Amino acid sequence: MAAALSASPASALTQDGGGGSGVAGRKRRRSGGAGGEAGRAMKLRRGSLRAALGLALLPLLRPASAVEPISLGLAIAGAAASALTGFISYPRLYCYFRECCLQRHDQRAAAALQESLDRKLFGQHLVNKVVVKAVKGFLNNTNAKKPLALSLHGWTGTGKNFVSKIVAESIYKRGLQSKYVHQFVATLHFPHAHSINLYKDQLQSWIRGNVSICPRSLFIFDEMDKMHAGLIDSIKPFLDYYELLDGVSYRQAIFIFLSNAGAEKITEVALDFWRNGRSREDIQLTDIQNALSVSVFNNKNSGFWHSTLIDRNLIDYFVPFLPMEYKHVKMCVRVEIESRGYAVDEDILTRIADEMTYFPREERIYSDKGCKTVDAKLDYYYDF
Amino acid sequence: MPRAAGLLWLLLPGLAALEPLSVGLAIGVASALTGYLTHPSFYCSYVECCPSAGKRLNATALKVQLNTKLFGQHLAKDVVLKAVMGFSSNPSPKKPLTLSLHGWAGTGKNFLSQILAEHVHPAGLRSKFVHLFLATLHFPHDNQVEVYKEQLQNWIRGNVSACPHSVFIFDEMDKMHPGLIDAIKPFLDYYEQVDGVSYRKAIFIFLSNAGGDLINKAALDFWTSGKRREEIQLKDLEPMLSVGVFNNKNSGLWHSSLIDRNLIDYFVPFLPLEHKHVKMCIRAEMIARGYAVDEEIVQAVADEMTFFPKEEKIYSDKGCKTVQAKLDIHEDIAMRFTKAKG
Repeated sequence: MAAALSASPASALTQDGGGGSGVAGRKRRRSGGAGGEAGRAMKLRRGSLRAALGLALLPLLRPASAVEPISLGLAIAGAAASALTGFISYPRLYCYFRECCLQRHDQRAAAALQESLDRKLFGQHLVNKVVVKAVKGFLNNTNAKKPLALSLHGWTGTGKNFVSKIVAESIYKRGLQSKYVHQFVATLHFPHAHSINLYKDQLQSWIRGNVSICPRSLFIFDEMDKMHAGLIDSIKPFLDYYELLDGVSYRQAIFIFLSNAGAEKITEVALDFWRNGRSREDIQLTDIQNALSVSVFNNKNSGFWHSTLIDRNLIDYFVPFLPMEYKHVKMCVRVEIESRGYAVDEDILTRIADEMTYFPREERIYSDKGCKTVDAKLDYYYDF
Repeated sequence: MPRAAGLLWLLLPGLAALEPLSVGLAIGVASALTGYLTHPSFYCSYVECCPSAGKRLNATALKVQLNTKLFGQHLAKDVVLKAVMGFSSNPSPKKPLTLSLHGWAGTGKNFLSQILAEHVHPAGLRSKFVHLFLATLHFPHDNQVEVYKEQLQNWIRGNVSACPHSVFIFDEMDKMHPGLIDAIKPFLDYYEQVDGVSYRKAIFIFLSNAGGDLINKAALDFWTSGKRREEIQLKDLEPMLSVGVFNNKNSGLWHSSLIDRNLIDYFVPFLPLEHKHVKMCIRAEMIARGYAVDEEIVQAVADEMTFFPKEEKIYSDKGCKTVQAKLDIHEDIAMRFTKAKG
């Protein structure tokens, strides 16, 4: 050790004996060992000052050095993307572009329905009143106890399918094309009497599945008079006053049943009124309703025959469609001409209306086919 | 020895991070928290639990609900209240409670069973311990009765072992295949245990229209003899009802051993509703919708309902059903009246 110390020129001056020489030697070697004693002392002080300054600033530098621009940029972009997604998928915005199930009652639905029926439906003052009130009351009622079940009865061509189409359009913009509106035609969807058990199962599964997706579903059953008696019994549970059935609530759904059953009875009542000289608009719902309910129930062809639907009074409203008179047929023709964009020629109008057949044989007031086949006749008279 | 020393040397930095005090404290707090969270009294306010054995039903609340919501059924109210309170205050019942509710349509059978279910399980029909079976929906095909029998037995057994206080409601008993109900007869009997599961605390409710015409006849007889409706006693109806339902091929209980073995605890008759009860229903519906009660509208809606028998016209054909629909028609008048009242 003594030999090493004596090797360095500065060591001769700071040598403090054998014991502490090792430590002193090490110190001298660290400070670089150049210059005089005073310079060496100054250097020491400056070095320690710098070191102290560096140490003090180090905590401030560490987090800043962690902020990597690329990852920070990605994080901000990700946050913005999720905010945008949340905004876009918010139902109100989303529902402008895609079709949504009707969650909250839209006040416009009832008003649109009223206006459509006033404008497009001819000669059915009873239907106007009942359907609008029924649908409006049902949609407004947040606490409905059972689904709305309407039964539309009447002569052919009087507007039953038309009204169901208008109702569908007022609730769902796409109307019958909507994926929440389901139309069943008895002769098409349930043709074979021997497969009735299969139809029952399928129908129940279909209704259950669709109502669990969208509680405000609309089901239209056409040609009820052709439906197998007893098939409708399979959906009776859904129309009843239950709160929940297997976890699904059916209380917001709407069921519409269309049929020709009871048409003779309605015509009888209308004819009575006409024969007694009373106006058509005098016919009240109560005049027809009671007579209708019993006759539909007992008619073997009605599809409701001895069915529990009427037994349990699960049909909320029986809506009668009166047969169309001559003046209503003319209105139909006029609307058809206008919709095709032709000029309305009163002469042709009268001729077309006269061509339709009317009943009963003596009085000849009501059109046999209602407003059907009018457009076919139109093609014949307007040639192009 | 060197290998062990080397291993210890490797673990030493990790061990150095485990401060014993803080780790011990963390474990202690975590286990205490778990213990607290899984304790039923805390846990059950968030998730639905099966009611414990010691829980008693609130008799006064049930009585008040029955009095305010159920109209015109003095017999049903009395019987059900006594039956349910007696059953729930009995620490060890000998058999499950079996009620059979009979009556005309729209008189309140489903409604009463709903109120009962809500008192046993607060979530009512939505509770996972309350099960509703509809004959036309759940057991539709006659040729599959064997499958239904087995499924029904398994379902009941499984659910009662999960929660002994389960409630089973069978609706449309008159449409159920005779003999399907025989499948659950063993559960209703006086056994202490069946295959390790005790059914003694469960409640079974059967709803049907069978016997409705018999009840109507009896009520009509009372009316024609000038006696008041409230004077009809259970003993006037019960024996006639039991035999009538037993012999009626459509009752679903036809020749079933349920009545044979007297496994039905109570036959609860529902009397047909009169004019004044229909009006009460209408008023309740109007209040529920927030309209002011206008007697004119109440009278108008009540007049639209049909009544039987043809001459006397005292009892409503549909009970209180379709009242809502008829109210919709008069709704605009009702709204105007409400607005006028201010």
